[in-house]
Amino acid sequence: MSDFKELVKSFPKTREYVRDFFVYGFKTREEFGDKSPRTYDNERRRLESWLAPYVRKDYVKNGSNISLAIDSNLLDTNPLFQVWKTKSFTDNDIVLHFLILDLLQNGDALTAEEITNELLLTYDVLFDTQTVRRKCNAYEKEGLLNKKKDGKNIVYFLDNSLMNWFSENSNILDAISFYQMAECFGIVGNTISDQLDFHNDTFRIKHSFSVHTLEDEILFALINAMNKKVRVNLLLKSAKKNTVTDNLCIPLQIFTSTRTGRRFLCCYIEKSKRFTCMRLDNIKNVTLLAPAPDYDELRNSLDKNRIFAWGVSFQSENDSRLDKLTMQIQVVEPAEDYIINRLKKEGRGGTITRISKGIYQYEIEVFDSNEMLPWLRTFIGRIVSLECTNKAVERRFYRDLNTMYKRYGISGEAMPPQDT
Amino acid sequence: MELFSEIYNCYYQVLRHLLSNQAPVTIQDIRTGISNEGFEESMLAIIPKIENGSWNLFEKEGELYYSKLSDTFAVPFSNLQKSYLKALLSDKRIRLFLTDGQIENLNEILSTVTPLWSNEQFCLYDRFADGDPYDDDNYRKHFRMLLHAHRKNRYVDIDYTSPKGTRVHHYYFPARIEYSVKNDMFRLLALEQTKSGKMKLHTLNLNRIQSIQPTNQTMDSAIDLDAIIRASYYKEPLKLRIIDERNALERTMLHFANYEKNTTKIDEDTYECLIYYNQSMETELLIEVMSFGPMLTVLGNEHFLDSLKKRLERQIKIK
Repeated sequence: MSDFKELVKSFPKTREYVRDFFVYGFKTREEFGDKSPRTYDNERRRLESWLAPYVRKDYVKNGSNISLAIDSNLLDTNPLFQVWKTKSFTDNDIVLHFLILDLLQNGDALTAEEITNELLLTYDVLFDTQTVRRKCNAYEKEGLLNKKKDGKNIVYFLDNSLMNWFSENSNILDAISFYQMAECFGIVGNTISDQLDFHNDTFRIKHSFSVHTLEDEILFALINAMNKKVRVNLLLKSAKKNTVTDNLCIPLQIFTSTRTGRRFLCCYIEKSKRFTCMRLDNIKNVTLLAPAPDYDELRNSLDKNRIFAWGVSFQSENDSRLDKLTMQIQVVEPAEDYIINRLKKEGRGGTITRISKGIYQYEIEVFDSNEMLPWLRTFIGRIVSLECTNKAVERRFYRDLNTMYKRYGISGEAMPPQDT
Repeated sequence: MELFSEIYNCYYQVLRHLLSNQAPVTIQDIRTGISNEGFEESMLAIIPKIENGSWNLFEKEGELYYSKLSDTFAVPFSNLQKSYLKALLSDKRIRLFLTDGQIENLNEILSTVTPLWSNEQFCLYDRFADGDPYDDDNYRKHFRMLLHAHRKNRYVDIDYTSPKGTRVHHYYFPARIEYSVKNDMFRLLALEQTKSGKMKLHTLNLNRIQSIQPTNQTMDSAIDLDAIIRASYYKEPLKLRIIDERNALERTMLHFANYEKNTTKIDEDTYECLIYYNQSMETELLIEVMSFGPMLTVLGNEHFLDSLKKRLERQIKIK
């Protein structure tokens, strides 16, 4: 273990391990079958080091499990942001970071040669000009430094206007605290909090999935592709087959479920002429390709089609274009009016009709009614009837219901409506 | 622009804090700093670099280390951070925090910056349709008053209408402001001091608050909100059995990732998962478990199992 290093060069491998530990939280060394024991030990040690306050160890008969005990009701930040703060660097990197930025704090605009000289004179540190210039250019690219032409020379300087604005408008720090937990790319907000030494003690976020941050690098590339309106090649991992395949598509929108924690890229596949959704956590790599000339038309077309998608599926399992689903439910009025409210706020545009006292009908047309099953089950206890043009969905609903009756010792059987 | 960059590295943060101290520090002070802010094993990597001068950022005199940096040192914002800020300015909730004038100023400073994302690039397809009224002046006023009272550690006098229509009027301490991504609404985690002197936790929907009056009463003792929340959890967690068919395991683990849970493998494709929750989460958790249908089996606790059976019994009686 002498070669153990706490920091890492690249993110993708780390992403896999953290995800497995976080999401599953019960794999033992033996269960990471395709990795060498040494790799497992190093990854595990890193993870324990980065996320120490949240790591829980349980001893089981075939070894010890480590898992991440994260209760989102008690979080002031996303613990997994730590994983983004582990990029390795060289001795030169860290020394130049602090000394160049310190040297330019007074607003001076200096050439790479002048900076090199000042580093020696002011800080007693010797670097060659090329190294200094490379770092200055890299920092100009990252936005930490600005550069401009001064006669024949290139000079580098700091622009502190945004920092000054922040010190005069400190209420923005509350916004940063909130958004880093509630919105995408929260890690970026978190780095701002770190930089300004301000930490959230005001907001708690419900229904936010900490694990999403692990997909931010992929998301970043996809948003970039959407902004440029280009095609992409996705390296996609199939969890079932354990294979990785190339997939050409045009990325259009990110679909997020606030309930299941899944995020998808909604894209257009030119070969099959279909919209389709791919899980972000299955995308291993994104390569930007040539511009898609009909990008705006496709995006408009997606907007028109999306209203018929219950979730992420754009096609029915039978040949009909749309499935029509009708559900009647029982409501004790007015005591259970909140159930009618549920239909309104969760029903995604379905029509709600009061059929008679205490009986309400919900009706909707969707591409794939299979996707509705989890939501429909949440009304168990008040479903008077459920009919769907996709008979397989009806059958599945009643079959599952009967399985549940049997499992919990409820005598009786539910029957689907007879086919007409 | 890179997300995974050394400029956001934890070690840089630790060093920045150590170097911003203009007073000389001992190696023990440095160790303490690393231990407070670094990762668990950062000490092993950082201390030798400082001691052997590879990170030549301190002047060493005897046993003391002097920072080479000026007291005005600050790290400027990166393009990525500016781009993130620009994206936030288009969000509908930003006006809860900033005035129109502030938004205009910041937009001006960031005029050449491209936002990191735009709202129409995302679709939260199962978010509830009745989100809070962020444009409502009264709502914004209440939000800011609560934020202010929280900062100042002050109680507020709240007139509130509960979802059942009951009007409540109390002094509350605004412990936290909670946002639900699924409901798109803010709730106040409010503490009320009971007659016995204990703190009782209430969850108040912001859009149901009728009025707020500031008070001069401050919260004098330190409150451990997490302990109050933990104490509210049932002693017996929800116990689920998962048979890993139709990808049930992965679905369950991700779906319930929000809860404190503990999963154990029982045999080849059977797992048991304990989920910790309190009364206020109970109905939502029951609905979530029901949505999985027969994929999950509830083994306990008795109370949860009874609630599930009642729903099934009610269902079978319908016809």
